[in-house]
Amino acid sequence: MSPAAQLVNRLRRTGALPPVVIQTHRRERLMSWLFLAPAVLFLLVTSVYPLLYSLRLSFFAWNMNVPNSQPRYIGLDNYTRLFQDPAFLSSIRITLIFVITAVTVEFLLGMALALLATSRIRAIGLIRTVLLIPLMMTPVVAGVLWRTLYHSTYGAINYFIGFLGIPPQTWIGDPAQALPAVITVEVWQQLPVVVFILAAGIQSLPLDLYKAAHVDGASAWQIFREITLPLLRPVILVVLLLRIMDAFRIFDIIYTLTFGGPGRTTEVLSMLIYKTGLQFFQIGQASAMSWLFLLFIFLISIFFIRELQRRTP
Amino acid sequence: MTITEMDRPRTVQPTSSSSVQRTLGTVALYGITLVSMILIAFPAYWLVTTALKYEVDTIVTPPLIVPLRITFENFVAVLNANDIDRYFFNSIVIALAATGLSVLLGSMAAYALSQSYLSFAIRRGLMVWILVTRIFPPVTTAIPYFVIIRSLRLSDTHAALIVTYVAYGLPFVIWLMLGFFQDMPQEIDKAAIVDGCSLWQRFSQVILPLALPGVAVTAIFAFIYSWNEFLYASMLTSFHAKTLPVVISGYMSDKFLRWGEMTALASLMILPVMIFAGLTQRYLVRGLTFGAVKE
Repeated sequence: MSPAAQLVNRLRRTGALPPVVIQTHRRERLMSWLFLAPAVLFLLVTSVYPLLYSLRLSFFAWNMNVPNSQPRYIGLDNYTRLFQDPAFLSSIRITLIFVITAVTVEFLLGMALALLATSRIRAIGLIRTVLLIPLMMTPVVAGVLWRTLYHSTYGAINYFIGFLGIPPQTWIGDPAQALPAVITVEVWQQLPVVVFILAAGIQSLPLDLYKAAHVDGASAWQIFREITLPLLRPVILVVLLLRIMDAFRIFDIIYTLTFGGPGRTTEVLSMLIYKTGLQFFQIGQASAMSWLFLLFIFLISIFFIRELQRRTP
Repeated sequence: MTITEMDRPRTVQPTSSSSVQRTLGTVALYGITLVSMILIAFPAYWLVTTALKYEVDTIVTPPLIVPLRITFENFVAVLNANDIDRYFFNSIVIALAATGLSVLLGSMAAYALSQSYLSFAIRRGLMVWILVTRIFPPVTTAIPYFVIIRSLRLSDTHAALIVTYVAYGLPFVIWLMLGFFQDMPQEIDKAAIVDGCSLWQRFSQVILPLALPGVAVTAIFAFIYSWNEFLYASMLTSFHAKTLPVVISGYMSDKFLRWGEMTALASLMILPVMIFAGLTQRYLVRGLTFGAVKE
């Protein structure tokens, strides 16, 4: 409770509440609303309204490519058509593969690096500085940069794998390699998030447990499995929740690296929505896709948030 | 960095091992760290060295990992390119305006939420709603934004992009500032109330100056977001309000193999971000987790 409210309550209990205080309290409540109002109004207009507008559009067929075209009401047709659309279904599959793979790899590598950073070698300063680089790089820049790295003739990656005896690959031009290539860039950029959060979590664990474990002669692996991991569970959940939600939002990197190609092999949902709505201008259908996307993400987040609330004391 | 309780290492520390084993273990740890850091940092090295190579040296087989000769001609070329000063100006102005507006409105809202003159249910509801708006993928609101902005004839204006970025930044600012306000000791607020300060006076003259580090950190995060944003910038602007990320992506289609110029512009573009990131290191975890995990 705020200090002001505490004061008011205490005075009210002792029966010593002059009218001017009650009036001030009311004035403060009004002021609170005035403080909130600009932000709330702004969000209502710029977040809620476009979403509702998009919902409405999803019940119409509207091709903005055709000049002076008007939206035409078609009810749930957009939605029913989507569930039979191979592009949409494939896009969902690609998105899920992307999210699950990226987050898993990020988490495993991130946990390893976080453990390294908090281990007996004094490397946390170096690790933190180096990890800031991919984290802060503009995603578009990362995309064009990695495109030069992946280049089949002039790229550095093919050069280095040559030393391992592997012939040059096409990477982003190859239907089988494009998705892993994109996932690699995403992992490279977002790994620092996992490392920083997990490292902060590890550093906040009580030291006494570790001291006791050493006295008892526990091995490093035992310490990790029995102490570190269980105590980190709430932080791990936060990390997973954040990373999963953010992985769904991927766009810039895929746009610059592959634009959804080759074919549809890297066409995640956000790319498909972009192409449908802003390349082919099928506004109604793109809106329907957007809403299904939102619903899906919303459900996943609710699941994770509930898990989080259950496990945090 | 002083060694506090928290800094003491606590993970890989086997107990019953000889000192030789221990040394080998330490060497191995250093080795793994070094290798992984080199792998992670290499793309950035590649970016900068490509920018410093002569254009002809960027497309050779095998690629020059260590450039034999460097030049600044790419940077000169990029800074002299058509309209580039306009694009830099756009990026700076839009990011600053969006940051200023969102930090101002967001801090006020966060302060109101940190006081409890409003019922608990309202505050809880607002916080949940604000969290929800953060979950949405930008693409899902891109379509209606596109239609609305076009119908309002605001395409290719700075205002359109500024409003967009404030809309996206506000939830973040509110949550982050709320955390900072809640971290402040309550005595200060109480003292100000006893002194007879109104809400606005408390906010502007007492709390805000004290929360300045928090404001700075929040502003930097908001700035970085606006500076880096691509989807809405490419969708809502074409020339007058075009920002740097759009320019960079343009290099991929037209001037495909002018890697020197492209990486030069990219290096210039990420410079302010890297500097700001270095400044906010301390609060990084709080910013990344939306305030859920505090450093």
